[in-house]
Amino acid sequence: MSASEETIKSRAVVRPSAPIVNRALDQISSVRVGVVTLVILVILSMSGMLILQQNVQGFDAYYVSLTPAERLVFGSLGLFDVYHSWYFQLTLLFLSLNIVLASIDRFPSAWSYIARPKVKGSRGWLLGRPENEIVEVAGRSAEAEAAEIESKFRASGLKTTVTNENGSITVFGERGRINRLGAYVVHVFLLTLFLGHFVSLTTGFDADVRMIPGSVTDEIQMIEFNLDKKEKFNVKLPFSIECTDIQQRLIDSRGTIDVTNTMDWRTQMKINDPQYGEMIADVSMNRPVNYRGYRFFQAQTIPVGNAREITLELTPQAGGEVITTKINRNGGTTLADGTKVDYTEFMPDFTFGGDGQPDTRTGEYNNPVAILNVTPPGGERQRVFAFAQKLADNVPVGAPKAGYKWRLAAFEKSPLAHVLSIKYDPFNASIIAWYVGGFGLIGALGFVFFISHRRVWAQVTDSENGGSEVVLAGEANRNQAAFGDLFKKLSEQIRGEERGNNDGRTG
Amino acid sequence: MEELDRLEERVTWQSYLPTIMVIVGSFAMLGLRMQMGDAFINDGALMMIALACYILAALFQLTNLYAPSSMAEKIGFFGAALGVFFNLSSWLVRWVSAYDHEIAIMRDSGNMENPWVFRYIPFANLYDLSLAFAFGAGVATLLFAQRRKFRILTAFTLPLAALILTLARFIGNEFIDLPPVLDSYWRPIHVGVASLSYGVALVCFGVAVIYLLKDRVKVEAMAIWSSIFGIAVIATVSKFSVFTEFVYRAGLFVPNEIGKKPFSAPFRLELPFAGPALAVSGVLLAGVIVAFLIYIYQHNEKARGIGHVLLKFALIAQIVSIGIVVYGIKAETNTQARLQAQLAADTGQYVTAGMAMAENQDLSVNELRQMTAKQQEQMGRSYIQANGDKLYTSLNTNPVEVASLITALVGTFFVMMFAFRTDKIVDRLPSLDSLDSLMYKTACLAFAGLAMLLITGAIWANESWGRPWGFDSKETGALVAWLTYAAFIHTRIARGWKGRSSAYFAIIGFLLVIFTYLGVSYLLKGLHSYA
Repeated sequence: MSASEETIKSRAVVRPSAPIVNRALDQISSVRVGVVTLVILVILSMSGMLILQQNVQGFDAYYVSLTPAERLVFGSLGLFDVYHSWYFQLTLLFLSLNIVLASIDRFPSAWSYIARPKVKGSRGWLLGRPENEIVEVAGRSAEAEAAEIESKFRASGLKTTVTNENGSITVFGERGRINRLGAYVVHVFLLTLFLGHFVSLTTGFDADVRMIPGSVTDEIQMIEFNLDKKEKFNVKLPFSIECTDIQQRLIDSRGTIDVTNTMDWRTQMKINDPQYGEMIADVSMNRPVNYRGYRFFQAQTIPVGNAREITLELTPQAGGEVITTKINRNGGTTLADGTKVDYTEFMPDFTFGGDGQPDTRTGEYNNPVAILNVTPPGGERQRVFAFAQKLADNVPVGAPKAGYKWRLAAFEKSPLAHVLSIKYDPFNASIIAWYVGGFGLIGALGFVFFISHRRVWAQVTDSENGGSEVVLAGEANRNQAAFGDLFKKLSEQIRGEERGNNDGRTG
Repeated sequence: MEELDRLEERVTWQSYLPTIMVIVGSFAMLGLRMQMGDAFINDGALMMIALACYILAALFQLTNLYAPSSMAEKIGFFGAALGVFFNLSSWLVRWVSAYDHEIAIMRDSGNMENPWVFRYIPFANLYDLSLAFAFGAGVATLLFAQRRKFRILTAFTLPLAALILTLARFIGNEFIDLPPVLDSYWRPIHVGVASLSYGVALVCFGVAVIYLLKDRVKVEAMAIWSSIFGIAVIATVSKFSVFTEFVYRAGLFVPNEIGKKPFSAPFRLELPFAGPALAVSGVLLAGVIVAFLIYIYQHNEKARGIGHVLLKFALIAQIVSIGIVVYGIKAETNTQARLQAQLAADTGQYVTAGMAMAENQDLSVNELRQMTAKQQEQMGRSYIQANGDKLYTSLNTNPVEVASLITALVGTFFVMMFAFRTDKIVDRLPSLDSLDSLMYKTACLAFAGLAMLLITGAIWANESWGRPWGFDSKETGALVAWLTYAAFIHTRIARGWKGRSSAYFAIIGFLLVIFTYLGVSYLLKGLHSYA
């Protein structure tokens, strides 16, 4: 029997004449109502699984597949967003209330195991315990036998208390009594989790921001779902963010920049805060950055091919060695002859658009080209196209310019942009909820289920033949099988010692 | 049986020796794999040996149940240990194989990075999770079966572990390209906890079934539930076509790059005779339900007799149907021509396929609404034009369908077996009290495990997706299962629901765990669709 089981049985029965508030509180704090609430939560959660929710990818197709009647019924019942519906929130609130009231109601009884342990009991009560046995001891007084039993109990890790009442000595041993409070600790952590999550949801919001190297912004986009419509609102940040670099670590550098060929995405940004100054932050997958209650996460990419770093091969028109140089995205370099080269743009699949301007046909790396601004010493700035494929000199875009024939020898693939997701949680409530409440809950559950309150009583009385009689009884609030092993060991020790004395104990 | 309860041997550290040896042995296998390279036995073969061991161990324990023999009991127990050994070895060997597989690709492309070893832990897809789930079930069984009175548990839990491995076989052991979000230290923790807690929930389910049997729940009532499950499976496979059109259509694959999982095609191929055979099985199972309902509610012995005869016929029909499905898939050689003929006879299938393709393109509501049936048909026709000659059938196209059909068959088989010498087997089962106690213990463990699963998942989600909880279908599935076990524990406390009531709760809890494990991956959309 668990603490709660005993607690429930010991509760006073509320008479129908009790005030209505008391009766209502009694109902709300009952475990029965708690279980019913759990079942309602299960049903609501299941409905949210079976009816696709409006913020889940694929909702549009699902919504179209429904009949008008289904849309009307599900929509008016709030089933397309059941987890944010008022009745779901109310059920959660009611469950929290039930947990709080049930815990308050039952705590005094559980505390009595700690404050007033039951150190003795009548013979009948002891024989009513799940484990019990009577051992007759010859040739040893009750007092001597009780002392022996006490040492056996201690050797088995039990904390002992001995009481002597009218010649009947009771040796009481127990272990793990603190476990009686385990259920309350579990509920405290569960409430911490609920409360933290609730605070996080009500005080924070979700948004995203597109990061293209070189871009600076102090605005992020908050998204709101309303059935098949997604609305975005701009939210101003108290600081600005500048994307300084984006990187995509590929498994196979020859492959695509698809998610299937990706090990990680990394976005480097500079946070410029008028209040706290400047800082550099790196956001990678599974490694978010937390700054003033704003948590930045990798969310998605704009998978149009780009290059983080290009390697150029320059063949001087005047003859001489081929020059190889590397330039980072938005970066530049100066050649030995003073020519300034700036890497301004990258097109993965070069073509001419309808307006005759350079464009990209697709996002794939079919015909990559780096677009450069080249300024020769004392000359004018020129736009140069460095293609990966070898072009003949008579092709205009491939013709030598600024004294060099330009070729894109290699490049490090990266997408056009990263999209970071931002969670604003001003009180860090979700971290408190899940780290403190969550890990606390795990620990408390381990404490509840893996430790049991074990109690053993040995009532020793002098018998008429000059020996003594031991009524051994015990119980545990859980893991009865393991307690059975301990009880068996204790009873064997008491009987086994008797064999050593050769004075005829019987079990 | 009280005789079994008297076998109260005390649990000492030696009791855990078989489990310790199994784990140490599996790591020795891992060492061998690392020494010998890919010339060593592969994970798929080890998994098949584990499957065989589980089935054999269960058969020996069942033999021991009907014809008590300490030899059969020992073989059953050590067979189970061997099964767990091969199961864990398969999982560990797969870890090394996954590493070798990706490193080979990286080196070939000149990438000299050395990713951390946990990137390759086999917790990447449903195949990996199934291997781990079966191991969780096996090792939990082994730990609880250390008490001799609970060794009979092996006969009930290992067939389920074997079914999970069968499902894994049908899913296929191709490696997936790991999405970056999964490359986190939370993955081994979260998925490891999932597999172990699912395994304990399976054991809890096994104990609940044994409890119901011991508590003399009528085998006929069990037959009604297993038949309802069988009918539900037959009705839903092949997109509900068995009872509506009397045909069974198997899924089709289009090849992918070498070594990668093929793509599922939006078309299915009709298998000759499979539909009618499955429909007959369904009708026979419906007959079983009707006959046993009459027996239960009107105490009609004649209906009971008819029900048992129908149950036998239903078992035969299910075996034949599965045989036809498997043979039809394996023997298919003329896919393109047969599919063309099938589509010529029913052009509506182009529209259905086109609709599925459009849904997968993530179009907006307006775009989808504007799409006409003609356009959808055209999409279907274009697909066939481009891929028609590459399509092929495989058992791996419909892993859940085939595994569900086999599970329904196993359910019918077990119920039929329970009906045979029921009194004798009931006598040999442990006492109701000890079964109830074990059921409570395993439910508590499953509850604690699922709590860990939810919390580690939430923390990981907080680090990856920016929110700890998003009511994703897999998250919600696990939450629902957890709430069910919470209700189990609290009804026991508040209402004194023990024994049979608890057993029903344990069964519902496990069904919800299975729904989370499989249903979410195959039926619902969400962020966990890879597993």
